[in-house]
Formats: sequence, structure tokens, C-alpha cells
Amino acid sequence: MAERELAEIVGTGNVLSGTEVIKEYSRDLSFVPAVAPRCVVKPGNVGEVQELVKWANSNLTPLVPVSSGAPHFRGDTVPGTGGSVIVDLSQMKRVIRVDPRNKVAMVEPGVTFIELQAELAEAGLSAYMPLAPRGNKSVIGSVLEREPITMPAHHWDSTDPWLCAEVVFGTGDKFRTGEASGPDTVEEQWELGRVQMNPFGHSHVDFQRLISGAQGTIGIVTWATLKCHYLPQLKKAFLVPSKNIEPLIDLSYRLVRFRLGASQFILNGLNLACLLGQNSEEIEKLKKTLPPWVLFVSFEGYGVLPEDKVAYETADFKDMARECNLKPAASIPGAKAEEVLARLAPSPEPYWKLRFKGGFQDIFFLTTLDKTADFITAMSELAPPENTGVYLQPTVQGTSCHCEFNLYYDPADRAEADAARWLVGHGAGEMARRGGFFSRPYGAWRDTAYSSAEGTQKMQRKVKGIFDPNGILNPGKLCFEIKK
Amino acid sequence: MSWQDYTHDMQRCTRCSYCKWIPYRYMRNTDFIEGCPSVARYNWHAYAAGGKFNMAYSLLKGRIDIDDTFLDVLYRCQMDGSCDVSCKVQQDIEPLQLMQELRIKCVEEGKLPQPHQTVIQGLREEDNMMQAPKSDRGKWAGDMDVKDLAIDKAEVVYHAGCRYSYDKELWPVARAGLSLLQKAGVDVGIMGADEVCCGGRAYELGCSDEMEKYAQRQLETFRAAGVSTLVTPCADCYASFKVLYDKIGKGLGIEVFHITQYLERLLKEGKLKLTKKVPLTVTYHDPCHLGRLAEPWVHWQGKEVKVQGQMIVHDPPKQYRRGANGVYEIPRNILKSIPGLKLVEMYRIKEYAWCCGAGGGVIDAYPDFALWTAAERLREAGAVGAEAIVSACPWCKRNFLDAARETDNDIKVYDLIELVQKAI
Amino acid sequence: MKLAKQEYQALEYIVGREYITQELVILDTYNQVWGNKFFFDEKHSTRPSAVVLPASTDEIQAIVRVCNEYGILFKAFSSGFEYLSLALEKEKGILLDLKRMNRVLEIDAKNMRAVVEPYVSVYRLQLEAAKHGLYTGRIGVGYSAGVVAAECCHHGCQHTMVFTSGYGRNVLGVEWVLPTGEVLEMGTGESGGELFSADGPGFSLRGILRGRTGANGGHGIITKASVKLYPWYGPAEWEQEKKPGEPPSRGQLPKVPDGYKVLIPTFPNIDAALEAAADFCHAEILYSLSISLLGTDVPAEGNDEEWAMMQAADPELAEEVKSSLVLVIGGQSSRELKYREKCVLAITEKRGGRFLPEFNEPAALARSFVDMIWSNGVPALRVTGDFLPSSSSPDGSPDMLKNLALREGEIVQRYERSGAFFRRDTGQRQITWRPEENLSTGAQGISVALYDPYDPSSLEAARRFISELFDPRGKFQRFGVPARGGCLQIESVTHVHQNWGQRYDNYDLWLRKLKKMLDPNAVADWSAYIPPDYPDYPREGGYVMPSYPRKEEKGE
Repeated sequence: MAERELAEIVGTGNVLSGTEVIKEYSRDLSFVPAVAPRCVVKPGNVGEVQELVKWANSNLTPLVPVSSGAPHFRGDTVPGTGGSVIVDLSQMKRVIRVDPRNKVAMVEPGVTFIELQAELAEAGLSAYMPLAPRGNKSVIGSVLEREPITMPAHHWDSTDPWLCAEVVFGTGDKFRTGEASGPDTVEEQWELGRVQMNPFGHSHVDFQRLISGAQGTIGIVTWATLKCHYLPQLKKAFLVPSKNIEPLIDLSYRLVRFRLGASQFILNGLNLACLLGQNSEEIEKLKKTLPPWVLFVSFEGYGVLPEDKVAYETADFKDMARECNLKPAASIPGAKAEEVLARLAPSPEPYWKLRFKGGFQDIFFLTTLDKTADFITAMSELAPPENTGVYLQPTVQGTSCHCEFNLYYDPADRAEADAARWLVGHGAGEMARRGGFFSRPYGAWRDTAYSSAEGTQKMQRKVKGIFDPNGILNPGKLCFEIKK
Repeated sequence: MSWQDYTHDMQRCTRCSYCKWIPYRYMRNTDFIEGCPSVARYNWHAYAAGGKFNMAYSLLKGRIDIDDTFLDVLYRCQMDGSCDVSCKVQQDIEPLQLMQELRIKCVEEGKLPQPHQTVIQGLREEDNMMQAPKSDRGKWAGDMDVKDLAIDKAEVVYHAGCRYSYDKELWPVARAGLSLLQKAGVDVGIMGADEVCCGGRAYELGCSDEMEKYAQRQLETFRAAGVSTLVTPCADCYASFKVLYDKIGKGLGIEVFHITQYLERLLKEGKLKLTKKVPLTVTYHDPCHLGRLAEPWVHWQGKEVKVQGQMIVHDPPKQYRRGANGVYEIPRNILKSIPGLKLVEMYRIKEYAWCCGAGGGVIDAYPDFALWTAAERLREAGAVGAEAIVSACPWCKRNFLDAARETDNDIKVYDLIELVQKAI
Repeated sequence: MKLAKQEYQALEYIVGREYITQELVILDTYNQVWGNKFFFDEKHSTRPSAVVLPASTDEIQAIVRVCNEYGILFKAFSSGFEYLSLALEKEKGILLDLKRMNRVLEIDAKNMRAVVEPYVSVYRLQLEAAKHGLYTGRIGVGYSAGVVAAECCHHGCQHTMVFTSGYGRNVLGVEWVLPTGEVLEMGTGESGGELFSADGPGFSLRGILRGRTGANGGHGIITKASVKLYPWYGPAEWEQEKKPGEPPSRGQLPKVPDGYKVLIPTFPNIDAALEAAADFCHAEILYSLSISLLGTDVPAEGNDEEWAMMQAADPELAEEVKSSLVLVIGGQSSRELKYREKCVLAITEKRGGRFLPEFNEPAALARSFVDMIWSNGVPALRVTGDFLPSSSSPDGSPDMLKNLALREGEIVQRYERSGAFFRRDTGQRQITWRPEENLSTGAQGISVALYDPYDPSSLEAARRFISELFDPRGKFQRFGVPARGGCLQIESVTHVHQNWGQRYDNYDLWLRKLKKMLDPNAVADWSAYIPPDYPDYPREGGYVMPSYPRKEEKGE
């Protein structure tokens, strides 16, 4: 009965309830318990999404929005309760508009980084990306999750590069955030020169911020505009090896303080090996060769004097490195900077984090760069360093740092899997106890994230009560209980 | 002008609150950026000049009366003019003049606060602001051999002022000033017991009639004494003779100098030479009445007109007194020419100097506030590494001495006269 | 309306006798705020029942609880320099003067943030931050803007937005006393950590803290904020000097500080200037950009001198101003500064520009630097008595802003020609914008109309003008919800939300729900936020007229 009603909304071919499909959406590669959805629907436009939400409200059926292709890793796309309907937006795949004059792209949720990059390149632009996202990662999914981009100088605010969006709230109301709002269509707005680029407003509310990081619990985004950057005419990249992390932290602070450079981050040897190696053997070999820590930085030339830009930036960077007693290089034993640069693109299959042992669990949180060494030490006492990747990404122009530990394990090995399951929860708890801020509360550390956030929880529930009073959007995520 | 004549100003105050601070562009050390002692101490906006504009407007509109709170707010103010300077960096309105007219109105309505009434009573009875016998006035000169202008004639009258005349601890400074003039061969005399108050402080309290009376008296006295020049070591008196008398149309018709100005002349003419070393690090405190309040009065008659549609200008153009033409450089030049003396500047100086705390009647009616204000200034002096604070006014010196004692601050307190004397 | 005895005593118990007043003399110094005349045709707005001077978050929390218990409205402000006016919506309302909460609590130089209390002004933070090689952006209203007010409660647009962003983008942490009396610390603050992120866990409550504008007291009181700081390439200290005898307004730097340069190119026409402006922004080299007044002139002492200067101005040079830009660039190294300057020269040449010596004389550039980076105050207030930020609202692409500016310019000129507004014949243009984040989120449109609030015909014209701009059936219907600083959004008068909400995704309905959720007892003054309910909601595309003037409240 429900499937029939849903088919009337999205079309028969877009309602899936076969066993294999259900199994696929019941779980992901996290340790979040599998919960079978009722079915999967694939809407094609905002009108259908609105109808779905209204239907869900009248039937009190939970909806779980998904936009990226599988595999998923964080548990946010696994239904929190049985009887949910997965709203798979992956076939909404239009790159609606690319505006090279204002460096803005408008995309639907099913657009991946690979697809977007191809279109942007034709316009001389590039997307801001997290570190080597997987090939079928939805751009909007990444941005809504507040995945950190690799270019801290361009990361002004935690919501960057997201600008505006069209969203359907849990009430079924359609809404356009920021400058996108208005009595006219977006096409009409373009005629006026309004390109949905300014995220602020309306008036006293930044609705955009209520959707960012919400894991689909407040609304379902049906398109978004994003900041883009210039495709550089030339690039130069460096690797800065170090035995210890501290000098790299010092160098990173200098770079990020003055917004020098394009992509910049720190990896431990294992993670660099995983990024570069094609398979387990290659990774093992690289692990032995690569230094314990590496800072990667690239310099991009664009604009009116691209060569001059790269020239002065690299010269200043080298001065900074010298002051830190570090030696940047175009290549180091085991790796070339240009290779790493190439790996910043969307990851070819298999996803780079899966190549080492076939499985991984992430623990990530925010801190400040100067505290990361302490977290690394603490984690090394919990998790075997030889299987633990580290990724430090300065964010919001250096005012904070995304600190990520990747626990690699063989999912086929029961003991390793059990250890990983224990570690991801316990490790997150330990990091939180030391002051790690779990701003993105997924799966294993969701409760940890909220354990010191009572006031935030209370307020978020009240906000949820406004935008999704029946609690039908992704119940059980964030701090929202499943309504009976 | 009466207080209602400032209605335009009351209306134009936008509550920017600049009056609470020194002009922003001169802020350097964030510990020392407040300009108005009243609002710094008492916090309520009413205590700021902007608050006075608001009070006046409310009074005009019949929304409030002059009650005890009104009087407290109005009189808990040194009338130092810091607000006036800061406001006028970007506005063409007159906070200080409005406050002055409000005080005059209070007096006209018989609402002068009690402590001031006592002082004014003393003035009427004994011709001084110190509640001391008139007959004792000349005692500060001791046995100095100096012309008595009640019976003699001289070119220059040395007007000590009420504070110097009756504050025994400060007598040596008054004497030193006179002695410097004598040493330089100046034909100088004093009025002695016949010296009377300049009336300036009374005017600041709102007793404009009193000042008018004393101005007339001074005019006649000096005419009779045949003096062509007045020199005073008191900044308050200087501002009264130079500015306020002119304001009320009773200029003395003789040259008026503060002693620092006269000393500068003597030094330039070579009649005094600074030869002895005074190894001391000092900071100079600009007395309000020698600084921003000593800017010559500007007489203007005209009207407000609009140009370019709505731009408010005047016909003829109106020159506002914005504090720039006070006496700032001369005392500094003198100090800099004293051998061995090192001059360091505080953070709030010249037009935007922090008040010593004594002015506007505060030292009489709110002595704790006066001391608080002075203590703040001494703190600032210490912050710039000064061993001594130097001013050029007995009210400043008195208040600084009292505050230093009260707060166990061992900073030395000098008048510029004393340092010049040391260097002669 | 007076407080009842037990109400007064309850508040007195919290702050102490010295820090609460019901004296009419003092109360009436809190309701004569800048914008009042425009809205209410009277300098006085509702007299508060009492004013309190709290010293801490605990005291504020206790005060708010008392307000809830007795149904007393409350509102807080710092400097009170507010073009929005002050209008307590209920007769029984109190004001919290935050003057005693004036500490810079922390500057974390490494992680580039400052934590401040509400009374800290922008310039004070700029002075402090410079010692650490850091900077906070220059707010529109100048030196005295409160950091917390600008970043969290009010508008927060900055002259330096190209480099330092604005509009709440710099908020890294907040301590917020809600209208219920609860305290909410967002992000890392709640767990007792350092205040480096206000976002999460989960979605960010900064979304309800503010939007393009803040709540102006409508949803409680911000008692502390952590704000992002930016690199400062200049000296740790500086001194502005003037010659003896010059008025205080003449103080300036002797030259542009080392570490910075100011360049003022002039282009063949305004279009070339605007294109060049966009180029400069996209080159990611700017610290500040102005497409309006150059700030190079010696500041006039007062209106009379300004008028004399206007009359003596070279008309040809004044024309050149219209297509000139002021560019401030800085660099952490001489190489960086040289590169940036080279870019400026290259783009200038590309767009047919040149550097006029009159504009690029060192002292003139130093004056411009001061105005762009710190402020020259708000002399516009002196010119006629008041100004209206006349742009209806928006931020967006330069093309859109040009479109808007031309439409608005026609209207402004009509009022100028009629004599109702100050007529700008020279030196100003009608298309100008302030870029944000190297233009990556667009720019803010700005224009200013100067009128005299005490000239009845000028005031009436100003209201008609704003009505034209704010009429959602009019020319600006499609340019965004008017929201300048919460400016001109005194809800009891201008009905912005009622009129615009229905055309803009019914945002007002969501905002009303948020208000009700945050403030169930309706004790946080909503005059510049959203009213708990509308007395007169427009239906079916209708329009509720602004309802000024309001009747004057007579004193008790």
C-alpha cells in the first residue's frame, strides 16, 4: 500500500524494495547496527521530495536521505529504526549552472566530485574538495557534512564552500536559503544578476547553518550553490618530511596564519602510503620508506600574475621552513609531491582508505593544531600506530584543526574487527575526555559527542520540533530520539 | 545663551558615546582610554555629556524636574571639558557649554547643592573659595619684599589665586613663582590681602552673577593699580581672566599670562637661565584650565542655514572651540630645557588629558570622587615610568598630593615652578 | 511604568543598590537613541522602568529569571550607539547597561581568536590584537562599535570584509543568556573547552543566533563572544599625530605603516572601475577596498569647513573620484607585498587605469589608511543630523548590486533634487559595494542618504523614501529582505517581516516559531527582532504600511 502511494509520487521504477536493495541500504561499513528500511525511493525533483515528506508526515514514516553512492562509512545513512524509507537522491544529477564570473556552481545532490570537476574544468574552475573523496561521494553530501577542505586559506567558515540551498524541511515546506530566496525562480534571479551566492539571512536567521551538519534531520537539500576556485595555470607542490610532528605543526601555523599556499595538511607515513599505494603490498613497502610525518603543501598560480604568485609563495614558504629547521622537497624517499598532488583528486576505486587492510574506522574531531601532538600521543597508547593513520587538516583559516585517526583493520579477521569496534568507541571517548570536540556526531561517538552538550541538545531538539515536528527525518541521528 | 538655546544640540546628540573616551584616534594604551571621570566612575549614561544632553532635552519637554538626582549627576562632574573635545571631533555641538548653562539654571532656581552653597557663602563674605578669612589672604607671601599694589604701582600684578593664598603647604610654590619674576627683574607687585577671587570657579558652579561681580571688581582694581600685565600661577584663574571674562564681555584690557607663558618669555629673553641639573624623570599633566579650557573665547553671531539641500552650516561660518589652542607646548618646552630632566608623556595629554579631579566644584562637594580621579592620573603617571608628575596649577597639585597620600603612592608631585626654581 | 516594590527589590538584590535605578533623570538617558526620531518623530521612546548595570553573566541570568517571573521585558545594550533606535515594546521593561562587562578575556595569538565581553569596542580590540600581530575588522559605524554587538547582535558588516569577512562569520564561541534565563554556550564552550568552534555537535546554533543581522536583544543577551582574528602586518603600536593648533580631527599617521601600501588607481569610467574592483578581489591580494569616498582629504573640522572645502574642490578631480578605488594591501614579507603591488599595477593597466598624484600623495594615502582600517568616526552624522543606509538590503554579486544601485540611485536623486536630502554633486557615486571574502560570497551594496530628522519635510521625505525601498510590491521586491542591521526593522513600525515573509519562503513564520521557542514568556524585547504576533498581517499580496509616527510616551 505504501509502495503504491510512493510510486504515485516518484514513479514505479523509482520505488525499490527487492531483497538485495534492502540489504544494501540496511548497513554500511561502520559498526552501526544494521536496520532494514522498508524500501528505497529515488525522487527526481524537489516537487517529488516535498510530496514524499508530506506523505511521511501523514504516515509517520521515517525518511533517511542519502545522496552519495555506496559504500558509506559513518552510519548516518543507516536507518535509525525499522520501517524507514530511504530517500536516495543520487539520480538528481544535474550540474544546474556554472558561473565562472562569480565562481559559483549550482548542483543537485546526486552530483559527485568527479562529475562536477569535469564541468568546472571547462569553465576554468575547480571545486573545493576534502582529501581524496571517494568517487561516488556526493558533493552536497560532503559539504553538508562539513567535511574539511584541503585549502585552509579559503576556508573562512565551517560551512564553506556551501553558499545557498533549496531545502525541504521536515514539515514538507520548501525553502531557499540566503540570497536564493525570493518571489521569483532562480532563472529569473539570474536575469537580475542574483546568482544565489550570498549565504546570509534571512534577516535574523541563518537557516543554512541549521541544515549544515544536521545529517538530514532538519531538511532534505535538493540543490546547493558552492564556492569554486580558479583552476590554476600552474602548480607547485612540496613535501616536508619530519621525524617528529612538532616542527610541522610550527610550519603549518606559519603558513596558515598568512594564508600562504593552496592545499595544506599533515599526514603520518602510513596515511601517505595509503594515499599513494595502489594495494596492500605497495602500502606496506611505502610505509617502511616514508618518514614518520609529512606536511604537504601546494602553491597554485592563477589570476593576473600566476608565475609571480607561485614564485613568491614558494620563496616565502622556504624561508618559513628554514626557520623551523625543515627541508621541503619536491620528492622524498618513497614519494613525489606531484604524485600526492594528483591524489588530491577524487579517489579511484577502491577508495584509498580501503586498500591497506580492506576496512577502516575513522575517529575525527576538532581541536587546535597546537594540541594535536597530545592527541596523537594519547591515541598511540590505545591503537597500534602501525595500523593507525593520522590526518591533520587546518580549518577555518587556522583557527581550528580537523584531527583524524584512521583505524585500519581486516574486516574478515574477527579479532581485528572486534578490536576496531572497541577502539572506535573507546578511542573517541578518550579523545573527548582530553578535549577533542566531536562536532560531527556519528555512530560510535554520537553519545560521546553529546555527553557534554546538554544545552545544545536541548536547543537542537526544540529547533527540530519546529522544522520536523513529527520527527520523520532520519530519527535516531544527532541527539534526536526515535518517536514511537 | 541660555540652556534652551542648545535645543539643536540636544536633538543632534546621537549617543555615539565618544564623550566617554578620549578621541579614538589618540588611544594608545587600553588601560588609559577613558576621558570622562564621571562616567568612568559612576557608569550611568547620565554622567556622560551625552547624558546631559538627554537630561536637558527631557527637562525641556517637561518629562523630568531638577531633583536631587539631576543635581547629583550635573554636579558630579569636574567640568573639565574632555567630553567637549571628544564630541567635537565629529560633531558641531557644545556639550560643555550646555552643562554650564544647566548649572546656571540650577542656581537661578535656588538649587545649588549644599556644599557649594557653603563655599559661595564664603565667597560672598570673604572674597575667596576656601572658606577662610579675607584678612589672611596675603600671608602666603610671608616676609617677601614685594610691592603691595594696594598702595604701590607696578607693571605686573602677580595674582596668586585662592588656592595658593590659603593652602599653606603650597605657599612655597606661590612664593617661588613670585621670586622667579623678581629674579628676572620684573616690576611686579601683589594685591596681598586685597586680592580677591577671580570668580571662575563660582561661574563653573553656575553662579554667573558672582563672576560678573568679581570681573568688574578686578577690572577696577587693576585699572587703579595701573598694571599692564597680569601673571598668575593658577590655571583656573588664568582661564577665568583670559577666557571667561572675555566670554561675558568683561575683558580686563591688560595682558594676561599664566606663569608658564611668562617664564617662557623670560627664558627666551635670557633673563632667567636654567643651568642646574635636575636629574628626574617626569611626566607633565596638562591642567584643564591651562589646556583645553584656556582656548580663547570665540564670539559669534549668526544663523544656521542649509546648503546642498540639507547640510547644516552657518552664516557667517562659525568657529568652534575644539581645544586645540590651549597652552600645551610652552610648559613642555620649559621642562625639556631643564638640564638632566627627562620628560615622558602619558597616554592622555593635551586636548585629551585626564582631569586631576579637582575642578567643577568636585573637590568641595565630592572629595572622594576628586581623589579617585587624581589616583587614576597618578596610576597613569606610574605606567609611563615617571618618578614625578608635574603640573601648573595649585588645584592639580593639591589633589595629586592628597591622592598620593591616600593611596600610598610615592610619586613626587611638583608644580613646574618648582622645577624651574631647582634649575636656576 | 514603575516596577512594583518586590520587582525592584528582586533586581536590587541581584546587582546591589548602586547598580539599579528608577530615577527618571537617568532613565531618560537610555531612551534617546539615534534612530528614535526617524521612527517615532520624537527623540524619546518608551521610558524603561529601570536600568541595571550588571557585572557578570550570573547577575544577568538572575535578572532574566526575575523578568520571567514578573513578566518584565528586558533589553541590553553596550554603547547604545544605535541607528536602529531603542523601543521597548512594553511599558514595563528594563534596560541592562553592559558597561561593567568590559574585559578582553583572552587573545590566543597562535589560534587567532579573542574572547571579549560585551562592552569591548572594536578599536580597543584592534589596539590589543595588534600587539599580537592580529586584527579585527573595521565595522561600518567605526571605532566605538561593540565587538559582541557587531558580531552577534547587530549587523557586523565591515569595511575590510574582503579580508576579514563579517556578518557573524567570525563567531567562534558564544555565551548566551536565553530569554528563559538559561545559559547556552555553543560548541566547544559548553564542554568547558577553549572557544575555537561554536558549531555543533551536529548543526550549528549560530543559525538561530543571527542571520544577515542579529536579534538586537530579541532573543536574550550575549555575555561573551570568541571572535576570529586576522593577520595584522603593521606595527604593534602606533601614534596618530597632529600639529599644535590643529583641531583633534586632524590627527593622522605620518605615513602608511610598514607592511602595508595604499594605492588609489583611477579608471576611465565607473564600469572599468567596477570590473577592476572585481579583478582585485579575485586576485586575493586585498586587505581592504573602497569604491566610494577616498578618505584622502584632510578631515574637515566641522560642517562650515567642509562646505568651504566642497566649494573649493576641483570639479575635475571630483569627477575622477567617481571612478577611483582605494586599495589597501599588506604583506607578511616584502616579497608578498611586492607581488601584491605588482598585481595592482597589472590590473590597473589592464583596465586602463592610472595613478593620479593628487590621490596618491603619501599623507593622503595615510589618511585613507586610517579611515579604511580603523575609522574616522561617523562625520556623516554631523552633515545633516542623520543618514539612512538606503540600500534595501542585499548582499550578492557585483552585477546584481550594480543593478540595484542604479534603481536606487534614481530614487535617491529624486529626493536630492527636491532638496529633501543632502545633494551630492561631487565626489560620490551611486554604485559602490564592499566585497566579502575576496568576493567569494559576493559583496554588500551600500549607499547612504543624508537627511535632517528635525526638518519635517526632510524627515517625511526620508520615510517616503524608505517606504519605497521597503515596499515588497515595489522595485526592490526581488532583491532580498531588507535587513540592514536589523535596521529599519522596528517591527512595530515598519512591518518588514509581515510584508516580506510571504514573498520570501515564509521565513517570518519560522522566525516567529523560533522566537516563541526561545522566549515563551515574551520577555526579551522584540522591537528589532520579530513580534510574538502580528496585529495586522497582510493578506494575499497586500502590504501593511509603516505606522510611524508613534504617539509620544509621556513621562510618569
